[in-house]
Amino acid sequence: DALLPAPQNISIISTNMKHFLTWSPVSIQGETVRYSVEFQGEYERDYANESWIPICECSLITVTVCNITEDISATVPYNLRVRADTGSRRSEWGTLKGFFNRITTYLTPPLMKIIVDGYHLLVELEDLGPAFQFCVLYWKKGQESRMQQKMVKEISSTLHLDTMEAGTEYCVKAQTYVEAINRSSNFSEMQCVRAQG
Amino acid sequence: GELYCSLPNPRNVHFESINMKNVLHWSAPDGTGDGVLYKVKYSVYGVGKWIRKSECRNISRTWCDLSSETADYEEQYYASVKAFLHGMCSDWTETARFSPLTETKIDPPMVSISSTEKSISIILTAPEKWKGSPEEESISLAQVYPGLQYNVSILNKKTKKRWWFSVSNTTLVVPWLEPGTVYCVSAQIHVTTPLLHSAFSKEYCIATLKDK
Amino acid sequence: KLFHFGPCRISMSMNEIRAGFAAIKDNIQGRDPIRTVSILSHPHSLHKIKSSEKCCIIHHLFNFYVDKVFKYCTTEDSYVNRKISSIANSFLSIKRNLAPCHNQNMCKCGQESTEKFKQILTNYRGLNVTSAAMKSLGELDILLDWMEKSR
Repeated sequence: DALLPAPQNISIISTNMKHFLTWSPVSIQGETVRYSVEFQGEYERDYANESWIPICECSLITVTVCNITEDISATVPYNLRVRADTGSRRSEWGTLKGFFNRITTYLTPPLMKIIVDGYHLLVELEDLGPAFQFCVLYWKKGQESRMQQKMVKEISSTLHLDTMEAGTEYCVKAQTYVEAINRSSNFSEMQCVRAQG
Repeated sequence: GELYCSLPNPRNVHFESINMKNVLHWSAPDGTGDGVLYKVKYSVYGVGKWIRKSECRNISRTWCDLSSETADYEEQYYASVKAFLHGMCSDWTETARFSPLTETKIDPPMVSISSTEKSISIILTAPEKWKGSPEEESISLAQVYPGLQYNVSILNKKTKKRWWFSVSNTTLVVPWLEPGTVYCVSAQIHVTTPLLHSAFSKEYCIATLKDK
Repeated sequence: KLFHFGPCRISMSMNEIRAGFAAIKDNIQGRDPIRTVSILSHPHSLHKIKSSEKCCIIHHLFNFYVDKVFKYCTTEDSYVNRKISSIANSFLSIKRNLAPCHNQNMCKCGQESTEKFKQILTNYRGLNVTSAAMKSLGELDILLDWMEKSR
């Protein structure tokens, strides 16, 4: 039997430390094509005879996307490959062009909601998972030079930032920080609120 | 010499540890009623000998406090239990390797609060590491876990709004509150490495003084 | 997080290695029946090493794990193998963080750390390769606990 064509257009979509491998479907008239994915980290390449490790959650799947987040768990270059399989026939491996290193993940500015409760300035931030911290900057409007910073490690709903001077307007912006790759997102849109009084 | 060991083994032999009070627990062997006796031994991982725990020799209860034997939290341990009934015995049954530093449960912090007209002050105290006698030096778990922090929740009983604070030091003062209002405080301990959380303390409520 | 190993200061995250090890700890330690020998912590504990020589020991230990441990720990369980791969690749990442300190001669090896690492190799060679590698992997929490005392 002729070999199946190898999967093409293999690429990575990586946002906020969630990494997905995608590829174009292999179409064979009258047959269900399944796919299997394997990865190879720098360790496997340099110290373990260039071995490949299967991702069992993406073994003989019919969809053309695989969540590889759990396995891309070190900040080193990874190789990834996909193979098509109809049960009776199998393709060569299609390999991602170039390495993937999670340091290139796209970090989105965090969703942020500012709340005033009397003289108190509070912030609500979206929970992006344990890899994320948040750097929150706040200042009295017009006094950008006297910005204050709070690093938020654990997301709980309404986080208390500070107490405000009566009747004063304060502005706030936030960015995410991922310690594992030592990178930050862009800042969110600035939001300004006024204290009571 | 050992008797003929055909008794089923004790089950689920494991350490239960709270603030490094390390107690060995197990369940009776399957199908045995009353009258089963046990003996216990323990070992420091990497050290070549098992040590019998004399206070837990021929006991009928299914726990044994090994806190003083496992007090050095830089070490790791194994413990083992053997059952006896009507002249028969079981095999020794071991725990998994036990690491007090990463496996102990931490109690919630102690919370004491006071208030003025417009502010409340909160003093947080981490629990102490277990100690064998009152005379022994007290060691706070904050010394054992340098990265220890507190998550504090404050609920305004009037507006039903809850605020969260994440603090490293043990005192938190929240100014500019509403006079004559009840606030309820609860706190939790959070250690980042190793990753450990306590439960939240019960809620402590206090009212700010009324406007003069 | 910032770690101080003697004069060497490096920023790194251990959370993922911790989480990876926690997921397979009982499995790996369950494969090590030898209670009476430790590769890392006996007869002398890592905790006895003075701060100034920590960088040397860590440099050697990371090479030890990469060269002599992970590759001999393949199991029949694909989940465990994937976690070992994650830890091994994280070690390479941390080795890269450590390299500047080593290259700038901040990882001086005194007699104490040299003796300690010799002892570790002796303990390792006292067992067959697979048992020694599996025991070393099962002691990863001992290494992590000791390293994190340097925060």
